[in-house]
This record gives sequence, C-alpha cells and structure tokens, in this order.
Amino acid sequence: MDPTIAALAKAAGLDKALAEFPADIEAAAAQALGHAEAVKYPTDPAAEPWPPMRAEPTL
Amino acid sequence: MTALHWLSATEIAKAYAARTLSPTELTQALLQRIEHLQPKLHAFIRLDAEAAMDAARTAEKELAAGRSRGPLHGIPVGIKDIIDVAGLPTTAHSKILIDNIAKQDAACVSQLRKAGAIVLGKLSTHEFAIGGPSFDLPFPPARNPWNPRHHPGGSSSGSGAGVASGMFPLALGTDTGGSVRNPASVCGIVGLKPTYGLVSRRGVFPLAFTLDHVGPLTRTVADNALLLEALAGHDPDDPGSAQTNVRGFGKWLDRGVAGLRIGFIRHFHETDMPAHPDVTAALEDVERILEAEGALVETVTLPKLSEFAGINRVILCSEAWSIHAPWLRERPGDYGALARRRLLPGAFMTAGDYVGAQRRRAELIATVNDKLRDYDVLMCASSMDPASEIEDAAETARTYPRQARAPFNVTGHPALAMMSGLSGNGLPVSVQFVGRYFEDATVLRVAAAYEKAAGWYKKHPPI
Repeated sequence: MDPTIAALAKAAGLDKALAEFPADIEAAAAQALGHAEAVKYPTDPAAEPWPPMRAEPTL
Repeated sequence: MTALHWLSATEIAKAYAARTLSPTELTQALLQRIEHLQPKLHAFIRLDAEAAMDAARTAEKELAAGRSRGPLHGIPVGIKDIIDVAGLPTTAHSKILIDNIAKQDAACVSQLRKAGAIVLGKLSTHEFAIGGPSFDLPFPPARNPWNPRHHPGGSSSGSGAGVASGMFPLALGTDTGGSVRNPASVCGIVGLKPTYGLVSRRGVFPLAFTLDHVGPLTRTVADNALLLEALAGHDPDDPGSAQTNVRGFGKWLDRGVAGLRIGFIRHFHETDMPAHPDVTAALEDVERILEAEGALVETVTLPKLSEFAGINRVILCSEAWSIHAPWLRERPGDYGALARRRLLPGAFMTAGDYVGAQRRRAELIATVNDKLRDYDVLMCASSMDPASEIEDAAETARTYPRQARAPFNVTGHPALAMMSGLSGNGLPVSVQFVGRYFEDATVLRVAAAYEKAAGWYKKHPPI
C-alpha cells in the first residue's frame, strides 16, 4: 500500500480498518481522489458556499 | 373489478366513502398478500401486523362514525427502515443498529398517523441508505417484482418492491443521490424527491444533511400528490426545513400540459452517459406524447452529468463520514462490505474538497434556476439501464451509478421518476421530470398528463 494512504488512514483513526480491510482503504482513497477531481472548483474568490443548501422560489 | 391489492389510495378512499370496502377488510387482504410475496421479495424487515390491524379497526370505527381524517384515513403505508416508527427497531438494514428501538415517530410518520394512515411496518433498504444490494447483512435484500432475479433499485428497495407488487399502495423512502427515484424507475412506479426542505427529516437516520430528502412512492401520480400533501410542512426542529406553507400538490393534475414549456436534457443520456437503447427509445416516446398533448419540448443543456455526480459524492461522503467515523474506526467489520467501501472515501476528502464542492454547487443551482426561468419543467433520463440481476455484482456495480438523479439532490429541485415503458426483457424503464423550487405541483401535473396519455400505470408486474 502507498505509505501516504496508510498514513492518512491512521491519521483518520482507521487503524482497525487498515488492518482488517486494507483493500477497502486503498479503494476509498482512490475513489475520494476521483470524486474530487470531477468537480470544477470555482475560480472566483468571491464564490461563497453559504448557505450550503436552501431552496428558495426561483422566479 | 380491480383486485383489492391493486387499488390506489384514491380508489380506496372512494370505496371507504361508499361503504363498499372497510379498512380492516383491506388491511387483512394486504397482510395476506404480504405473507404470500414476502418470501420472494423480502420487502419487509419488520412487519407489524398486529398494530396495523389495531389501527385499521380504529380507522373503521372513526369512519363509521363520520369522523374522517382525510383521504389517507385507513390507507396502509410502508416505511423505509431508516425512518423512526415509535416502538419498532430502526436498523437501517445494518448490524450496527440492530438493537436500536425508536422512541418516537419521525415527523413524517407522525404526519401520516395524524392523517389516519395505517403503518404496516419497516421496509428493506440498502445499508444506511448507501450500501447495497448486499447479501452480508442481517436481512436479505429486497427483489424486483417484475422479475425477482433482478434488483428493485435502492436505496429505498423495499418501498419500491412493496408498492409495485401490491403489498401496499403507499410508501415512504429517502433520497440523497436518487434513492426514491431509483426504485420507482426500475419497479415501474412513481417516486418523488420533493423540493429540499419541503418534508421534515426529523427522526430519519441521516446520510448527508444537505442532500437528504424524504419522498413518497406510489403506483399513481394522484396518490403521490395525496401523500405529499400529508407530509409537507415546516418543522422548526429540522434545520433544513423550509419556511413555507405551500400546499395543493394535486390541484393541477387534470390540467394537462398544453402550453407548458419543457426543456429536454438530452445530453445526460445521449453523450454524458449513453443509455441503454430501450431507455432512449422510451424517452423519445415521452417527448412525442407530451408534444401531442400540447407541450412545447425543446433541447436544453446543463453542465455534464459527471460534474453533478462528483459534487454529490464529495458532499455525501464528507457529510456521511462525519456521522459514521466513530463506527468505521471501532466496528468496521460490522458494516457490510458495500457500505464500508462507500463510506470510507469520506476519510480521504479534505475540508477544501468539501467547501469547494459546496461553492461549485451554488453555481450549479444558479445554472439550473436560469433554465427553469425559460422552462416550466425539465425532463431527462432517470436510470440509464433497466435493473441488473441482483446477484450479478459486477453488472450492478456497472449500472448502479449510471443515473441522472443526483444532479437534483445537488440542486434541491423537485424531481419525479416514473415508468415510461418496458425493456425488451420485460423490465420497467423510466423518465424524470424536474421543476422549480416549491413547484412540486407542476412536476406532478406534467407527470399526471403523461401517465394518463401513456397508460403505463395500468401495467402490473406478473407476480
């Protein structure tokens, strides 16, 4: 396993999962990267995330 | 005469009013059908037959005394097992919560009881509404009534299988990345993810706070509107609850679509994620039917499906990790393999990933709102494929993410999936309609017009 992934898993407190399910840990790290790479993060520094979700009338 | 188990809630209410049917007669008939079908479909985790019959007798007395609580009075309903029903376990289909007895009804269940509905019991789900279909959990996964070798969709699997098979006419599901609309799509019924915040999530085990919705699954659009009517409303104890009193979800069901402008998001199923030919053909039929009914249908473009899906996953995994981290640290082996694999990515998301996804989400919401200024409703695919064989893990893993539902969890717009035909191997395919915030009634109006013109609601699974 990539030592960076193992270090991140330990930092997240996943020592038990790392020992028992190492393949799941490796796959999770790869998935996290894939999901994050799919997002086009805003380049406008003023683009705010607040509120994270609130529906308001459209028109 | 229609068999009792295929009656819609609307028809049942009429039969009660005419005194040609009673709640105990109906509940007894449905319990018999459940007993017959449960070994094949596994829709229930926990059936509460005794309490259901008690509630039916109470409803019968009240109706006989002329004290009707409304159109859901005496109508049986199934509840997904991440939603609390007082006195029953909320297991989330997981060993982790196997002994978790709910102390109170969830707000949505409480609303249904107030309306006189009869709670039948708790329904199968993917583990914690994310890990499934799985065979390494305390209960077997639900199966598709159109062919029990196939997946009924998820995560509200038992809700879809039970409604489609005539075990009950109404069910509650939850939808974080498409989990009401997926079972509706592949079981050939109607599933609505209402506007974010329209239905309280208090008492529902969370998956991802800013994406979670409670929604109705039914066999007809009119029933869906009825159920939503009972569920909708502001709840000060749900931080995501909207400050609105919008009502009248069934008020336009008979208006048709003449003059409505419908934007067809073709690129979702044509180029972003090319759909199975049967799904594509059915979508073209939907377009033809709506145009024949008088709607103006035009092609519209949104950002790519993969970007919506990425944002959904970054937010979902991050928020779910904040809930599941203690158990994933201490009890990783008590999760089924699929739930564990789908929840663990949250440990590897950064704060920057999460905030960045929320920032981009705001831009996508603005983009969809812009389209909805030009169109009354958007239309697109729901599932890109008919249901996979449930024991074919590779095919399920391939087809499960092939969907166009997650965009509207990201944006929070109301979105409804319903049957649009049958595939070559006799499994339902589907269409999705999406509306403006709090204009769920318009989504239901378009769905009702399509339902009436296409007539798929008359088709039941051969079970």
